[in-house]
Amino acid sequence: MAAIEVEMLRKQYGNLLAVDNISFEVSPGEIVGLIGPDGAGKTSTMRMIVTLLPPSGGQIHFQGKDALRDMSLVRANIGYMPQRFSLYQDLTVEQNLRFFGDLFDIPPGEQKKQMEKLYAFSRLGPFKQRLAAQLSGGMKQKLALSCMLMHHPRVIVLDEPTFGVDPVSRHEFWEILHELRKEGVAILVSTAYMDEAMQCDRVGLMYKGRMLAMDTPQKLLSTFPGELVRLPVRQPEKEYAWLCEKLGDDRVQLFGDGLHIKLDDALGRQALMDVLADRPGTTGALQQIKPGLEDLFLYLLEEQHE
Amino acid sequence: MKRIYYLVRKEFRQILREPAYIGILFIMPVVQIILLGYAITTDVKNIKVGIVDLDQSPMSERLVEAYTRNNSFIYYGSTDDERVLIRWLDDGRISLGMVIPLHFQRDLINGRQPDVQMVLDGVDGNSAGVVAAYAAQVTVALQKEWLPKVPPLQKKAAALHITTIEPRMWYNPDLKSVNNIVPGIIATLLTMVTLLVTAMSIVREKELGTLEQLMVTPLRKGELMIGKIIPFEIAGFLLVNVSILAAGWIFGIWIVGSVWTLYLMSLIFSLSTLGVGILTSTMARTQQQAMFIAWFFMVFSLLLSGFFIPIKNMPDIIQGLTYLNPMRYFMVVIREIYLKGTPLEFLWKEGVAMLTFGVASFVLATVRFSKRIG
Repeated sequence: MAAIEVEMLRKQYGNLLAVDNISFEVSPGEIVGLIGPDGAGKTSTMRMIVTLLPPSGGQIHFQGKDALRDMSLVRANIGYMPQRFSLYQDLTVEQNLRFFGDLFDIPPGEQKKQMEKLYAFSRLGPFKQRLAAQLSGGMKQKLALSCMLMHHPRVIVLDEPTFGVDPVSRHEFWEILHELRKEGVAILVSTAYMDEAMQCDRVGLMYKGRMLAMDTPQKLLSTFPGELVRLPVRQPEKEYAWLCEKLGDDRVQLFGDGLHIKLDDALGRQALMDVLADRPGTTGALQQIKPGLEDLFLYLLEEQHE
Repeated sequence: MKRIYYLVRKEFRQILREPAYIGILFIMPVVQIILLGYAITTDVKNIKVGIVDLDQSPMSERLVEAYTRNNSFIYYGSTDDERVLIRWLDDGRISLGMVIPLHFQRDLINGRQPDVQMVLDGVDGNSAGVVAAYAAQVTVALQKEWLPKVPPLQKKAAALHITTIEPRMWYNPDLKSVNNIVPGIIATLLTMVTLLVTAMSIVREKELGTLEQLMVTPLRKGELMIGKIIPFEIAGFLLVNVSILAAGWIFGIWIVGSVWTLYLMSLIFSLSTLGVGILTSTMARTQQQAMFIAWFFMVFSLLLSGFFIPIKNMPDIIQGLTYLNPMRYFMVVIREIYLKGTPLEFLWKEGVAMLTFGVASFVLATVRFSKRIG
């Protein structure tokens, strides 16, 4: 039985279709990631799942039960970490944890046990008497996660939990998520980081309320047509504009490490070399690279626009 | 029920960690009572009088003396030129000019009732009214002394004697405005803390994102609202007590009536302000917005409460509007209890009115509150 099952879910704000008939499910012991630009509908989707937002249409099942009808069941058994979550800054780490434990009616003895476990998880133990305001960004995120785990939820929903956190802390945060997955917790997480998306069991690519694709990261990547080459250039923006004109802008994408160019039957490697031969500025050799989720996403977006 | 306790405990931990709250609860009342108690005064003291005595008779001199002897008046000077008197008034050197006509004594004795002219500085209408009243008092006192000496009026005087009006101000015998102001300040402070701070507290959780988190817990909306209200209800109660002590120690003004009646009425009153506070928090997204909305309510309730401006002096429409203002009732109640010691059975109408507003604003707040969170 799926932990979360979403069917033809829809949310409309006036004329704007924020979530456009999406369906997916999250199973116990599975991490499902949602990626997509701002306004893609990730937050609205999550808020509907956690009962904060009434859907305009569709079904949500929580552990097999109708989540729209039995809201208190969802609220008592789900862990939710909203975007921009920052806890009670003027309470200590321990007070924050206890407060959430109390709200879920967890008896003190069990709270103590769970807190010890969470301290080990998050390495927040030495800081338990510290005010939340005085924690670093990464520690705050881990505390927020710990707070929502106080009641042993079997399903957790995290909205961009690592936004603005340093890479080391992000890594530690995801280690905790993997740990939870091993325990059979169902996890739905949205992220802006592609490396995090790659760690999910399945990833949904969302854009303008629609689910463009959803599958394991590997299967998603295998749908990328043709191959991809990287062209390291000195003035990427200038070269990008030039190449877009030459090749069409659905082939070329601007990345931090250079330009990514999609090759297929219509444009082979040799043909690209010929085009580049006119251009003395394009130094450096073409490198064949594996397409990433970002390449796939941008490709799918271009397809959308056509 | 238990969850409410947890929420209240959390709220108190936060309040105690915030030095600003301690300041609001314990320092603000004292400072406000001192500042406003001294500053807002409708008492008129040290009225400077300029005199033109054209008669220069014993009786006119007696009249001048009556003014200069009175504690409320200060003798500025005499002149025999009315134009000089007007210039004094223009320059603000005097606020009362008195012109005693020629043949004042002769006319008086012959029962011809001479007119004494009073020229008042009317820039501040309220004060001018008080000055005129004081001046009239002095004159009335003098007339009683003179009437028997005036043969044509002796009969009249005897008659007058039966029905002499001797005003004796009860509840505030010295007509000290501070007696009236201090209870008003307590009402204002209570409104401020319960309305403003409640609104801020909820909106702060909204800003932090913790409110969203709270909604996805078994905590019910009702529990959340009650959990938010109890701490500020207690804070308001503390503040009332601090204010009572401050008013007593600084101005020597103690409650004449029952402190329990005052407690009960404060509790009922703060229900309405807490309700408006929660209502404000449902309208505002940031603490600044909450601040503005709360201030709008504050100014409205303050101006239409009868604190500074007596409601009876307002136009009819505005007077009608004041009935929509819970603070109007509390202002009456707290003054009655403070100055007159009016018992509960005479205040129940105001109590019911405030309770109605309290319940109404709560219902409205609950409806809006649940709507917002969805």
